[in-house]
Amino acid sequence: MKKHTTIWVILMLMITGFSSVVSAQTNKKANEDTEAWRYELEVAGTGVQGTYLLKVWSYSKKPNVAIEQAKKNAVHGIIFKGFAGDQGILGKPPLTTNSNLEQEKDEWFKDFFADGGKYMKFVSLASDGAVAAEDRMKVGKQYKIGVLVSVNVALLRKDLEDAGIIKSLNAGF
Amino acid sequence: MKRQIMKIALVSLMVLGAITAGFSQAKKPTLMVVPSDVWCNTNGYMQVYDDQGTKVKIPDYKRAFQENSDLLAVISKINGMMAERGFPLKNMESVIKTLESERAENAILTSKSGAGVSESPMDKLKKTAKADIIIQLTWDVLKTGPKKSVRFTMQGIDAYSDKEVATAGGTGNPSFSAETAVLLEEAVADKVDNFNVGLQRHFDDLFANGREIIIRIKKFDSWKNDLETEYGGKELNVVIEDWVRANSLKGRFSNSDATENMMLFEQVRIPLYDANGNAIDARGFARGLQKFLAAAPYSIVNKLTAKGLGQAVIVLGEK
Repeated sequence: MKKHTTIWVILMLMITGFSSVVSAQTNKKANEDTEAWRYELEVAGTGVQGTYLLKVWSYSKKPNVAIEQAKKNAVHGIIFKGFAGDQGILGKPPLTTNSNLEQEKDEWFKDFFADGGKYMKFVSLASDGAVAAEDRMKVGKQYKIGVLVSVNVALLRKDLEDAGIIKSLNAGF
Repeated sequence: MKRQIMKIALVSLMVLGAITAGFSQAKKPTLMVVPSDVWCNTNGYMQVYDDQGTKVKIPDYKRAFQENSDLLAVISKINGMMAERGFPLKNMESVIKTLESERAENAILTSKSGAGVSESPMDKLKKTAKADIIIQLTWDVLKTGPKKSVRFTMQGIDAYSDKEVATAGGTGNPSFSAETAVLLEEAVADKVDNFNVGLQRHFDDLFANGREIIIRIKKFDSWKNDLETEYGGKELNVVIEDWVRANSLKGRFSNSDATENMMLFEQVRIPLYDANGNAIDARGFARGLQKFLAAAPYSIVNKLTAKGLGQAVIVLGEK
């Protein structure tokens, strides 16, 4: 009986360990996708003053990872990529005009975009994370999930300016 | 001992001077939102006067500010968003009021001996609302059946070169229920960031290639010489052109007009700081030319006037 219990405990521990490794790998893959620009930003409306309302399409084997990664992708895209406009709403260029910024400030952005990093301060899920049925697609073995997020661009820009990452409009005057 | 103290004092002054120069910042351009002529005309804010038989329309800004609350709301919203970016705008309505009160004060200001404030016709002419960059604003409400949308345009125009340095515009989403004020707020929030990208590009260019200014050379008719008069075998216009070439940044300028009575230098790129590290503008730059012409061998008495940061006029012959 005692032997059986020991086997069960070891088995449970192995399963837990294995699932943690898988989860960590899924997160790592999602982060790699972000760095490889594997996400899409779509304007979803005019946000209140100082915010952008976006639909972020992210990829992952696990829908909940894609939903969480959408926040990171939104901030990443606003800083480096910008997004196209849609009918009645203008697209926005990226916050930086320096195309090598992510390499030049590599260390700073690693901390900024770390899991639970400072980027979280500027982004929130607009619909409490609820994903419409048409925004959840299976592409091969992965899910492509569209999540509505709101990004406080005014605060994000101020933060990057204060940290000396991007130049403010009145720099030099 | 005394000599040593003098030496220390001199070195300290030099270090202080260098530090001050290091902290010196470029002269900041002023921005002001102005409703466009099209908007004023469409909304009936125009004055009509008879100019020798020709009817001339000019915008009546004062009445527009007094009567149109949408205009006030839009300007205030733009101002709020620009102030957040460290660029508070000059408020045109306040500028007009200040000019009026100054005019009234000047009219009644007298010294104890009864002397009034001297004011030439040129001084009076220059008393207008002005800024280095004018943000020209136009919008109209488009209607398709019950649906309304706002077409909104912001144009940033450099007051000296007349170049459009930043722009943002477009038609917003049509709506059945939203009020015009709400659609306008939405339009401003949507356009200002894109406008600022253009403005940033303009400032980047300014820091990389220098400030772009205009210099005009004129002559008083009382002066017996003109710009074709030769000094040491060179016509005066060539002497002036050589000076501008030598002193502009990378020799960049275009001499777009030249006669015996006037010269016009456009797109003159000037450094933001002089040799001492002090920030300069068109007036500071043209002062160099003024001194050059006033000195031997030319010894030409001349008068220098300026308009904002980007335009300077030198009139030869008299003060």
